Amino acid sequence: MGRKILIVEDDADTAAYLTRGLTEEGHSVEHAANGQDGLFRATDGNFDLIILDRMLPGLDGIAVLKALRAAGITTPVLVLSALASVGDRIDGLESGSDDYLVKPFSFAELLARANALLRRSEARVNVDPKLTVADLEIDPLARSVRRAGKKLDLKPREYLLLEYFARNAGRVVTRTMLLEKVWDYHFDPGTNVIDVHVSRLRRKLDDGFEKPLLHTVRGAGYMLAA
Amino acid sequence: MPITLRIALFAGLLALLSNLAVIGFITFRTHDEMSTNRVQQLQEQGEALSDVYRSGGLSGLRSAVLDPDLQNDPQAVVAILDRAGRPLVGSLAAAPVLGGPLHEGYLTAKVRRRGDSTGREASLRLMPIDPGHWLLTGRLTGEEMAVRDILERSLLIGLAIAVLLGLLTGGLLAQFVERRVRDIVGVTSAFGAGDFARRLPAPVQGGDAFAGLSRQINHMLDRIATLMEELRMLTDSLAHDLRSPVSRLRSAADAAVSASDERERDALLGNVIAQADSLMRVLTTVLEIGRSESMTARSQFTRFDPDALGRELVEMYEPVAEEQEVTLSFDGSAVWPEIVGHRQLLAQALSNLIENSLAYGASGGQIHVFIAADEEVIRLGVADRGPGIPAERREEARRRFGRLDPSRSRQGAGLGLALVQAIAHLHDGQLVLRDNRPGLSAELELPRPKLPEATA
Repeated sequence: MGRKILIVEDDADTAAYLTRGLTEEGHSVEHAANGQDGLFRATDGNFDLIILDRMLPGLDGIAVLKALRAAGITTPVLVLSALASVGDRIDGLESGSDDYLVKPFSFAELLARANALLRRSEARVNVDPKLTVADLEIDPLARSVRRAGKKLDLKPREYLLLEYFARNAGRVVTRTMLLEKVWDYHFDPGTNVIDVHVSRLRRKLDDGFEKPLLHTVRGAGYMLAA
Repeated sequence: MPITLRIALFAGLLALLSNLAVIGFITFRTHDEMSTNRVQQLQEQGEALSDVYRSGGLSGLRSAVLDPDLQNDPQAVVAILDRAGRPLVGSLAAAPVLGGPLHEGYLTAKVRRRGDSTGREASLRLMPIDPGHWLLTGRLTGEEMAVRDILERSLLIGLAIAVLLGLLTGGLLAQFVERRVRDIVGVTSAFGAGDFARRLPAPVQGGDAFAGLSRQINHMLDRIATLMEELRMLTDSLAHDLRSPVSRLRSAADAAVSASDERERDALLGNVIAQADSLMRVLTTVLEIGRSESMTARSQFTRFDPDALGRELVEMYEPVAEEQEVTLSFDGSAVWPEIVGHRQLLAQALSNLIENSLAYGASGGQIHVFIAADEEVIRLGVADRGPGIPAERREEARRRFGRLDPSRSRQGAGLGLALVQAIAHLHDGQLVLRDNRPGLSAELELPRPKLPEATA
């Protein structure tokens, strides 16, 4: 299921590294080395995802993003930036990007976020509100969770965690993504607070079942999969 | 041209110009006044005598001209002239030097009065009486001229004195200014050259404008010196504290390179990534502190419920606390529905405080997160029952890279409280470290917002 991805990045090394990685994942990748070219291609081609560097020569990333959104182009945009502070992240998100990733990043983190964005644009077409992963069934409207027909008793935050995992089933979800999307915090807590929450959820989800659903992906994060 | 000379010349020039203006005014006014008076006098005298002629004829006029009052007036000139201009009756000894035929009107000429050896300047009026006679009336102007001469001379002397005084005061003023400015220049250039201890002499209060300026400059120099000192300490400690994570990173990479077994290498590479991540965290936090201090983050202030934030963070850390067998409790202010601030940064500050308590105060078994408001401030605090921080070391704890744990065995670069403090400053508040008897209570003390008019 290859998708069309546009990378707008002036650093040739980073661009080559991303292009190689994403091509290996089966996507078709185009590259623009500056803001003008990026904006031109983005308005022209029909991309499923745009990966946009924040600091570009000429027209900077935020300006490109604003121009795109002003032109009514709703393609998901993932902004890359060396600006790491909470304020910079919020600025990035508020100017219309769908996600924000701080450099340096691991490719696993980028891929996880890119897949989440690609998946989200797919899911817009999906009318079935129920989420199913193997024998796990989640009803977002009732906020109820069943596994193999048996109702699971989750706390509100545990439910939100699981729903986010389920919406990205089969894909790696990183700790930072969880912190941002489930808690809406844009800082790095520095301790294992996310791990503790995930392992609690895992006990409720997998204990007593033969096949575990919530997996740890070493060096990257977690994945909900059959 | 030195500034002193320029100021002196300028003052002299100003004195000259202003005095010239005054002198010109005086001269013009006196001249004007005198001639108006004279013309009026001549006219009155002439008309009075014409009246006499009309009623008494030539003989009447003659006796009027010879009136002792008129003849004894030392300034007056009265005479009846014949057709050729020779005096027939009156105070003249000789014909006036008119330089032309007689004609009616006002004129200035030299006349010699009876008893005088030389002619004197006079303002005159000639009127024809009948075909053979002219009436001459007038007044000597010599005295008037003399008064004017004296006046003009004294005005000129006054002018010279004024210009000299102007130059003198200008010079004194310039010297005074130059001395004060030289002091300032001396201190600021010494500061620029690296002598950060020099300050201008200035009274704490009052004094002239220069004292005020000196105080301002001293204040600025103090601030610059403090900032430079902080910056120096920061870069020193940054360099020092980055050394250990970087060397850990290096040895982790070394170990990974030399690992033969693939699985072992994977694990070691994972360690490399973890070390790099922790290094990144240090750098991000340093940037974060800088951002908070620069106040640009204020544009992201919003209005929110601090109780909800506290509850959310407690819920987030509850499982972690439980694993460490610590009770994590929360008390909201209940009376304080909302504050205006940077929600993300305040969340980060509180989370830092909770993590600090979990790391250093967990031995007390209790961590209490609270939000309390009184008349002036709202406090977002975290209190534990651990060993606490002795009063004399609290300042050190706040500092960037200040780590009280002597072994530095725990992860972290000692930036936590410095960041919390920077976030407190961003909100016009402060970080207060209190003795919790026993334990530590770390509180963000923020000024109570004026709720009715606050907008987000």
